[in-house]
Amino acid sequence: MSAADCEPRGAGWGILDDLPGDPMIWVLIFSELAAFGLFLGAFAVARAIHPAVFAVGQAALDPGLAGLNTVVLVTSGWAAARAAKTARASESRATQSWLLTAMGLGGLFVAIKLGEYAEEIGRGIGLETSPFFTLYFLLTGFHLLHVCLGIIILALVCRRAEAFGVETGTAFWHMVDLVWIVMFPILYLVR
Amino acid sequence: MPDRLDITWIALIGLALATILVPPLVPRPLLGNALLLALAAVKGRRIALDFLDLRAAPALWRGLVSAWILMVVLFAWLTSAVSALI
Repeated sequence: MSAADCEPRGAGWGILDDLPGDPMIWVLIFSELAAFGLFLGAFAVARAIHPAVFAVGQAALDPGLAGLNTVVLVTSGWAAARAAKTARASESRATQSWLLTAMGLGGLFVAIKLGEYAEEIGRGIGLETSPFFTLYFLLTGFHLLHVCLGIIILALVCRRAEAFGVETGTAFWHMVDLVWIVMFPILYLVR
Repeated sequence: MPDRLDITWIALIGLALATILVPPLVPRPLLGNALLLALAAVKGRRIALDFLDLRAAPALWRGLVSAWILMVVLFAWLTSAVSALI
């Protein structure tokens, strides 16, 4: 294998080479955005068809807890962005500290969300309670899986803490953040 | 001295808190939903530009992510508006 084979940038991905991190992560990011976009669109259509059922379902949610989780995830995204910045400046220690902060806050998001699920399930709410809760659990559960995957990716790039890997990992993390920012008002607040 | 990342983070926290306050302060669903989704679009764009680092990327990618944000929030608002008007 030649040195050129290991070259992370300008590796023949065309216009994808101009994006931060590995072009392959951007293929994944755009695929995930398309999937979440379709999912959120389906939720919006279902609400238009069953407004009363969705209003009752939404009233059973805790928007304060979801708002707290928004603050947690946004702060995690900020820490991840700082990690990418310090990684580009070759400051490995600072990069690892920022990544650990981002992962810790990601873990807190998961804990809050699981606590929210436990409280809802404790009240007898489940996947089959209503069409609202079927879509609510599927959408937020799918997102929660992405948060867990994002934490694993950040942990993987944290060891070497070099710019290319950190940019790749944090790009995925910001996609997870972006999806939640749009999903939160649509599920919890829009009437 | 706060840089662009810090300012974006502070702005996002402020907008997240404003989002929580919209439903009790704006009881009219059409206007309230428009405000909620506009706030989501502003937050999403700040994340795309500053955290996802698309500010320096080619316009195509900025446009694609911005279009995704706009399409999702506009569709959510339109379906809620149709539902409220029927």
